[in-house]
Amino acid sequence: MKFAALALAGMLAAFSAVAQQKPNPLDAVPDQMPFDVPYGMPIALQKAQAAINAAIADAHKRGWKMNVAVVDPGGRLIAFARMDGAQVASVAIAEHKARAAAIYRRETKVFENGVQAGFNYLLTLDDIIASRGGIPIVEDGKLVGAIGCSGGTGSQDEVTCKAGLEGLKR
Amino acid sequence: MKQRPMLTLEDCKKISAAAEAEARKNNWNVCIAILDDGGHLLHLVRMDGATPANARIAVEKGRTAAETRRSTANWQERVGKRPEMLRMPGITPVQGGLPIVVDGVGLGGVGVSGVQSHEDEQIAAAGIKTLG
Repeated sequence: MKFAALALAGMLAAFSAVAQQKPNPLDAVPDQMPFDVPYGMPIALQKAQAAINAAIADAHKRGWKMNVAVVDPGGRLIAFARMDGAQVASVAIAEHKARAAAIYRRETKVFENGVQAGFNYLLTLDDIIASRGGIPIVEDGKLVGAIGCSGGTGSQDEVTCKAGLEGLKR
Repeated sequence: MKQRPMLTLEDCKKISAAAEAEARKNNWNVCIAILDDGGHLLHLVRMDGATPANARIAVEKGRTAAETRRSTANWQERVGKRPEMLRMPGITPVQGGLPIVVDGVGLGGVGVSGVQSHEDEQIAAAGIKTLG
């Protein structure tokens, strides 16, 4: 028992020595807050529906079956639509992507990139989803909500999200 | 093999638009949720002025109606008589959720939240009526 404890202590000491040699990128302290977009009033239903309709029209053209969610800045649903035959698991995933994009004020792709680069601690943060397909909606410099899509690959989901955002510009 | 009817997105849009028109006519701001027979969301609209809570409550009322094939008003009544019914899983026993039943088959549910419970149900009923 005593020997095992000593061995463990030795391993930990060796590990921290290695950690000291390699600089930890998370030790950097930036001057600016990241993704510092102020929260605005929730997006109007009419606009949320315009985004969903544009997203669905684009997915339909490609023969994709998507779930599309638009949430308010607090991450709660304003509008949602499931295309015929879209995957059931993606109902929750679409909403989750939209919610994460809203409450973290950034695209969910940021988390996907982070995890891919080895920053696994991201997965311990609250209500994270590390897959692209969730994008904030910014109006006049303020975050008014977010759109989330799910049903295909992350890359397909992202294309559908962007088609939805394009629908807001028209 | 047995065939299973399903709600399409077009059906949902029709139900939702009729429900929203009923709410608008009365100057009510509500959330309207439509769920499939497994209790999974198909369509949702939250009218401007309805609260984040309305969104969650509408979904839960609709889910209760969809999964149990009973109105949430019926659940409210049952819970009133038998409080132990509150322990039933996934039940939101507050009026405003109606099952969608076509030819005796439960296809899903509509849940509404935002005004008084009987008014929520009135909106849900106006939506379902458009299915004919």
